[in-house]
Amino acid sequence: MELLYQLTDKNKELLSLARGEEIYYCFPLDLDREGSFRDNSYTVVTNLRILLLEEGSCTKAYRLSELEKVVGEPQISSGILYVVKDGKEEFLGRYSAKHLTRYSYITRGCLLLQRGEKERVISREYETACLICKRALPGTRECPKCAGKKEGLVSDFLMLIKPQWKLFVVIVLLMLSATAVTLANPAIQQRLMDDVLIGNKGNVKQAVLCLSLMFIMSLGIVFINAGKSYLCSKLGSRISAGLREKLYVKIQLLSLSFITERSPGELMNRILYDTGRVRDFMGETFCNLFTIIILFIADVLLMLILDWKLALLAFLFAPAAMVFSLSLRKYIRTRFHMQGEKADKVSSGLQDVISGMAVVKSYGQEEREAEYFDKNTEEFAKVQRSNEVFFATVYPFIGFVLEAGVYLVIYFGGISVLNGRMTPGRLFQFITYTTLLYTYIGWLTNMPRMLMNMVTSMERIGDVLKQEPQIFDHENAKYHEIQGNVEFHHASFGYKSYEPVIEQIDFKVKQGEMIGIVGASGTGKSTLINLVMHLYEVDDGEIRVDGENIMDIRLSDYHSQIGVVLQETFLFSGTILNNIRFARPEASYEEIIRAAKMANAHDFICGLPDGYQTYVGEKGHNLSGGERQRVAIARAILNDPKILILDEATASLDTENEYLIQKALKRLTNGRTTFAIAHRLSTLKDADRLIVIDRHRIAESGTHMELMKKKGIYYNLVTAQLMMQKN
Amino acid sequence: MPEEFNLSQMERETEEMLKIRYLTKHNTVFKRTEGGFVSLSVGEESYLRIQVMRMFPFMEKDRFLSVRSVGDKSKEIGIIEDLEDMEKETIKLLREQLNLRYFTPVITKIRSVKEEYGFAYWDVITDHGECRFTIQMGGNAVVHLTEERILLSDIDENRFEIPDVGRLTPAERRKLDLFL
Repeated sequence: MELLYQLTDKNKELLSLARGEEIYYCFPLDLDREGSFRDNSYTVVTNLRILLLEEGSCTKAYRLSELEKVVGEPQISSGILYVVKDGKEEFLGRYSAKHLTRYSYITRGCLLLQRGEKERVISREYETACLICKRALPGTRECPKCAGKKEGLVSDFLMLIKPQWKLFVVIVLLMLSATAVTLANPAIQQRLMDDVLIGNKGNVKQAVLCLSLMFIMSLGIVFINAGKSYLCSKLGSRISAGLREKLYVKIQLLSLSFITERSPGELMNRILYDTGRVRDFMGETFCNLFTIIILFIADVLLMLILDWKLALLAFLFAPAAMVFSLSLRKYIRTRFHMQGEKADKVSSGLQDVISGMAVVKSYGQEEREAEYFDKNTEEFAKVQRSNEVFFATVYPFIGFVLEAGVYLVIYFGGISVLNGRMTPGRLFQFITYTTLLYTYIGWLTNMPRMLMNMVTSMERIGDVLKQEPQIFDHENAKYHEIQGNVEFHHASFGYKSYEPVIEQIDFKVKQGEMIGIVGASGTGKSTLINLVMHLYEVDDGEIRVDGENIMDIRLSDYHSQIGVVLQETFLFSGTILNNIRFARPEASYEEIIRAAKMANAHDFICGLPDGYQTYVGEKGHNLSGGERQRVAIARAILNDPKILILDEATASLDTENEYLIQKALKRLTNGRTTFAIAHRLSTLKDADRLIVIDRHRIAESGTHMELMKKKGIYYNLVTAQLMMQKN
Repeated sequence: MPEEFNLSQMERETEEMLKIRYLTKHNTVFKRTEGGFVSLSVGEESYLRIQVMRMFPFMEKDRFLSVRSVGDKSKEIGIIEDLEDMEKETIKLLREQLNLRYFTPVITKIRSVKEEYGFAYWDVITDHGECRFTIQMGGNAVVHLTEERILLSDIDENRFEIPDVGRLTPAERRKLDLFL
C-alpha cells in the first residue's frame, strides 16, 4: 500500500523543507472537518515535522520532537487524525475509509522518526484500486490493465503452453483445416446449383459427386471440431492441473504470514476457481478464438471477392448488429443477475432458518419465518417467470433483427440474379457467408469479457506464484541436532510492521526445562511460540538454539525436531494411524502402539470399530476433544521432539480427560525443553520456570514460589483464579 | 506496579455496568477542549475527552446516545436519552462530535453507474459533495435496511446511504436496478 503519495512541486514548495529534511510519509486527507469530500489536501510527515496541506496552503505544522504521539483513530467508515501535545489531544483532520489502513501506520511511522531512526515503515497490504486507472483491483498487487503487463501476460501465456507445444501445434492445424472446410463447403454448393442443377447442364453423376463432396466435408467438419474440442479440453486440463500443482506447492512454501493475511476461502478460490477459469478459457474460448478470427477474416475477404458491392451492403449492418448484440448481452446479464440475487436470498434465508430451527421453534416463530420465506420465493418466482417469458417471446425477434443484414443481401442479390448479373448459386453462397459473418460477430463481441476474465485469473495466480517466501533457508543454513537450549536475545516482532506484538524479549531456556508462559489474552504468548517454531522471523534481535542463530538451521531439519500440541487439535482426513505417524511415516506398528499407550490413547483407539484404522477428520468418525488431543500427543511422542510446544493443550476438557492428558503430557515433557501456555495456572504447576508477559514484554519470570512471593501480576492471577473457584 | 486484583471491586464494577445512568443538563458539564474535542465532568468524575456513540444509528440519530470515555478500556459514562433536552451549547458541541464519528454520506443524485468485470463504478453527488466510489458485484455490498432504504459499502468499506429509493428519478432507478 502506498504510504508516500507524490506531491506536486507547488505543494512541495508550501512545505518549505529545511536542509536535510526529507518527506517520509504522505497521505491524502480527503475530508474537511465537516466531512465534505475534497482534493489536493495531504498529511505530510518528514523526518522533523508533521504538516497539513489543505487545498493549496499549509495550515498546520508541528515539530515531531514537541509531540508525544501522532494518532490515526478509526471512526465509523472514516477516521480522524490527532496529535498529543503536552498531554492534550489536538484534532488535525479527517479522512474517509479509503485511507483508514494508510493512517494506521502513522503512529508507528512517527514513533520511529521521533526516536531518530531512519527506517521507513512499509505496508504489505494491497491497494483496493489501481492508483493510475482507478479500477478496482481483484485482489492483486498490480492492475491487470495498467503497469505495462501486456507483454508479461503474453510471455506468461507462452510459458504455460510451452510444455504442451506438440498438442498446441496439432490444435492450430485443426483450426486451419476447420476454417478451410467451413469456407469451402458453400463454394461446392454454388457449383452444384449453378453447374449441375440449374438449366439441366449437368448429369446425375456430377450431382452425386458434389453431394458426396459436401457430405464428406460436413462429416469432416464434425470430426475436426470434435477432435479440436477434445484436444483443447485436454490442453486446458493439463495447463490448469500444472498451475494448480504449482500454486499448491507455492502456498505450502510461503510463510504463514501470507496465509493468515488471506482467508482460506480466498486461497482455495485461487487454486480451484482461478485455475478452473484458465481451463475453461483454454477449452472453450481459446479453441474457437483463432478459428473464428481466421474464419472471420477469410469470410470478409471471400465476400469482397465474390461481390464487393453486396459485401459492403452486408457490412453496413455489422456495426449495428455488434452494438445491438453487446447491449442485449448486458441486458440479459442484468436480468440473470437479478434472478441469481433472488435465488441467493431464498437459499440463504432457508439456510438461516434450518440451522436456527431450534431457536425459531422454541420461540414459536414458525409462522412469521414461513411468511418471510413465502415473500422471498414469490419474488424469485416473479423474476424467473418474467425471464422465461422474455426468452420465449422476445428472443426470436432478436434473432430476426440481428440477421436483418441477410435480408438486405437477399433483396439486392435477388435483383442481381433476376437481372442476370449473378448466378443463383453465387447468391446462395454469398448468403451463407453473410450468415456466418453475423454469427461470428455475436461471438466476437463476447471476446473482451472472456479475455478479461482469463487475464484477471492469470493475474491472481501469478500474484501467488511470484510471491517470495519470507521464511526460507538462508545460504549457510545447515543441519543441526537440537539439544534444547533456547535463547531470546532482544527479540521484537509484529505481524504488521507498524504494530509490534512482542518487544525486546530476553530470556534463556536450558535443555530439558519446562517453561510456563502466562499472561492475558492478546499479550503475545502465542506469538512467542510461533517464533520458537520458526514460523515467523523476528524483526529485531535474534533467537538462538544451542547457541546457533535459528536462521542458520535448515528449516526442514528444525521442524522435524519440534513437537506441537495445540488447544484445537487438527486431525487430517485419514486414519488415526496416519495421523499419529504424520511426522514419521516410516514408524513401525510397535512404535506407534507404544506412543499411543504413552499418550493414554491406546485404550480408546482399540475400542473404536476399526481400531487404529478408524477414519477421522472431516466426514470421518467424530472423536471427542479429549480423544483428539491424545492422538495429537501420540503424534508428538512418536516424533520424539527435542523442543515441545503446548498451547492450551488441556483447556476445555472434562476432569477425567484432563487427568489422563496431564499424565500423558508429563511423560511427554519429561527431559524435553517445553514451552507451555495455559490460562488455568494449576496446569503449570510442574513448570520449572514461569514467564509472565504483559504489554508485549516480559514482566516477571521465576519459579512459582518466587513469583508468589513477589506479589506481582502472577500472584494476582493465581489469587483471582482461586477466589473464583471458591465462589 | 500492576493493580491488585480485588474480587469485590470487580463484582462492584460488574454490578455498576448493569445500571443505566442518564446524563442530563442538570448533572453534566460538557466543555470544548483546546484541541477541538469535548471534555465532561459529571458529579465527581471528570473526563479529558469523551466520545459520543449512537445506539440506533439509522433510526434514532439524536436519541439514546452513549457517552463513553476514550482509550483501550473505553467504558460508558452515561446515556443521553434525547439530545434535544440538553443545553443549546452542549447540543452544538455533541452534534459536532457525532459528525466527526459518523460518516455515511447520503446519495442525493446518481450521475452514472458503470459495471465492468465484476465491479460497479459509481459517480454520485452526496450531501458531503461529489464522490466516485466502487463496489464489488455479487457480494454483500448492497444491504436493504428497510424496503426503501439502502446502504452501500464500497471496496474500501466507505458507506453510502440512499434513504428512499422511491424518491429517485426513473432514470436513476434504472441504474440501480442491477442491485435491487
